[in-house]
Amino acid sequence: MEKGFIQRQRQRPSSSSSSSRSHPRKERGHFNPNCLNRSKSLDSAPTQGQGQGQDQGLEETSCITGTCPDMCPAKERAQRERLRDLAVFERLNGHPAKTSSHLAVKKFCRTISVKQVHASDVRPLPVLEMTLNHLLSLLSSTGHPFEVVHDFIFDRTRSIRQDLGLQNIVDHKAVHMYEEMVKFHVISHHKLQSHGNDPDISSMQYLNHEQLTKALLSLYDMYDRTQKFESRFINEAEYRSLYVLLHLGFRSQQIGESLSLWFCQLPLPIIKTKEICFARNLLRYFQMGNYKRFFCTIAAEASHLQYCIIAPYVNEVRAQAVSIINHGGYKLNPYPLGHLSNLLMLTESDMESFCRACGLEIHIDDAGNKFLPTKQSTFCHPKGGFQNYSFLGLEHFER
Amino acid sequence: MAYMSMGEAHRRITEYLNNFSNAVSSQDGSSLKLLFSLSYNSSFLLSLSDALNLFQDSNRLIKQSDHYSQFSEIIVPLFRALQSYRLNNLVDTYLAFEKSANAFIQEFRNWESAWALEALYVIAYEIRVLAERADRELASSGKAPEKLKAAGSFLMKVFGVLAGKGPKRVGALYVTCQLFKIYFKLGTVHLCRSVIRSIETARIFDFEEFPARDKVTYMYYTGRLEVYNENFPAADHKLSYALIHCNPQNEANIRMILKYLIPVKLSIGILPRSWLLERHNLTEYSGIVEALKRGDLRLLRNALQEHEHGFLRSGVYLVLEKLELQVYQRLVKKIYIIQKQKDPNKAHQIKLEVILKALKWLDVDMDVDEVECIMAILIYRNLMKGYFAHKSKVVVLSKQDPFPKLNGKPVNS
Repeated sequence: MEKGFIQRQRQRPSSSSSSSRSHPRKERGHFNPNCLNRSKSLDSAPTQGQGQGQDQGLEETSCITGTCPDMCPAKERAQRERLRDLAVFERLNGHPAKTSSHLAVKKFCRTISVKQVHASDVRPLPVLEMTLNHLLSLLSSTGHPFEVVHDFIFDRTRSIRQDLGLQNIVDHKAVHMYEEMVKFHVISHHKLQSHGNDPDISSMQYLNHEQLTKALLSLYDMYDRTQKFESRFINEAEYRSLYVLLHLGFRSQQIGESLSLWFCQLPLPIIKTKEICFARNLLRYFQMGNYKRFFCTIAAEASHLQYCIIAPYVNEVRAQAVSIINHGGYKLNPYPLGHLSNLLMLTESDMESFCRACGLEIHIDDAGNKFLPTKQSTFCHPKGGFQNYSFLGLEHFER
Repeated sequence: MAYMSMGEAHRRITEYLNNFSNAVSSQDGSSLKLLFSLSYNSSFLLSLSDALNLFQDSNRLIKQSDHYSQFSEIIVPLFRALQSYRLNNLVDTYLAFEKSANAFIQEFRNWESAWALEALYVIAYEIRVLAERADRELASSGKAPEKLKAAGSFLMKVFGVLAGKGPKRVGALYVTCQLFKIYFKLGTVHLCRSVIRSIETARIFDFEEFPARDKVTYMYYTGRLEVYNENFPAADHKLSYALIHCNPQNEANIRMILKYLIPVKLSIGILPRSWLLERHNLTEYSGIVEALKRGDLRLLRNALQEHEHGFLRSGVYLVLEKLELQVYQRLVKKIYIIQKQKDPNKAHQIKLEVILKALKWLDVDMDVDEVECIMAILIYRNLMKGYFAHKSKVVVLSKQDPFPKLNGKPVNS
């Protein structure tokens, strides 16, 4: 055996395979691609805080068929009126203790076991579709801050997913609903990021990220299960690509299994789609630090949904780019700010603001041109993160 | 089915029962294990299955003697399993075998010494293999395959039985490896974490005490996990251990280890010789190794594309992709060497134009901005020492060691 090729090290095995950083509320990924053992939707099991509870207890029991005709079971409506537990969107004429069947929406409630659930509390598919449409229509309401709208839709869509799971509804209608719910989380992923560093928001961001990945993985599961009956879904490639894009970012949390393992199981036709290629390329540019291609590619190819996932990481890449240039640039050749702003898809004044936020100075020459001097030792990541900057050319994605 | 008389069937069943009780009373693990090896397809067990299917009343025989009836909880389901196996009914086989195995574990707990470990190994192996076949049977009839998952749960229980202070604990690594195989097959590799934690941190286990064969398998799987998580130094250590300690005659295993070790070595700047790739039939890596040697970006991209499917399936694609930076480093170094031959004084200054030309010649589509970007990255990651001058569009290399070697460490991030 080639000696140079093998390094002999006599150490004890290190316990480095346990790579997940545990967080009290973090959930392990449920992605189980090879096993067609379909537990009743990965969403409906009580799992927060428990790593492996997803599949317990729901396999052998038969499906429930829901009979609840309204968006919210009458019993729950009455109870919440009594307890004055009504969200703003559920209040009849703003009254804190009065609602109606057109306004109240079933809340998410952790079920311990399927046996405890009554069919009258579970909404059948047509009612769920109606409920989802109602919820999504609230997204365009302007009377309330986004966080309030998000919070409500977050909870109520979770309940929809739960009802779908309890009834084991897996067909193209359910797929469409899941796609809409994922879309909601994706847009929130982007919008919540723009609200600065309020600790409440960042916890909301964390929980949204959690549900986003959960819903995405359930959606993929559904794609796998329904593909026998339907031809490949139109949006599948795009929604699959979102999972890849979630791995951007230096502090990306461990989502389920490693990305390499995820690709092992992905069918080849999906891998070859332009959406997945886009995501893979972007991830490659990101990991290499190739800011030039990173930005060009986003500008040229990103869809709205893809951009929403990418957006929170863009400033990290910009900061890295500035750091790279600052590190290796010739001291006597300060970097033209205009050129840099083109590369990083910012307006020149935003670029200046960005550099200053990184602790760097800008010089102006006699003709009024601005430059970034290199080899500055004051580069740092701003503690509070960056403000939002628009992405040049993609302002239409930044609603 | 060959003709067998009732008398013959009776004789075979009784023979088996005698073997069983003798093996237990004389604490003969090697004999006992043979009585459980369904998948071995030994003629002894196959004809026993025929006998059972013919005789149909083996329970009566078992009850006839105390020697056998004390093991009825193990043997009755085991006989069922054998019958189902012979009739190619794998789901029923698995269910019955698991029941038998469960009863075996209860007895095993009571036996003080580790004499029955060999039999336990066979049972653990059979549980996995029968479950795989049962799942195939389920899937082909349109049902949800869940036996392999059940096998995983069962083996976790077995692990628990072995994780104690006594001599039986050396069996834990074998069971761990069976669990790894299950989890890797199911794609639920995150479940490996808890057994790994037990093996590596529990005080009752001393890694060196485990049988060599199990240590190699263990390091292979944990090494692969490190590759998935891109912890290259750890992956290198584990896979190298597996390689060094692997039986050199076992070509298949050596190839499996190398399949993962090579991308790891490449990531830390160590290239295998081409004879190694050829000898072990790993020529899918040849193009990549050549690209690294030559600084040929086009070759790297072509090689990745050509074997994309295979690399994605084995989970090494994302690792190999990252070698691009090393290829760029090599390319620039070659340009530097050529320039040095022409004019040693000016060699350390490389125009971005020249690099652009070289890349164009390799059919790589780039503009000068991207070339500058790549150069800046190489400097940042310490693959190149020097600086780039934006205005003059030139890279100026340090006169001393402008292309530091990786020295066994992955590229700086």
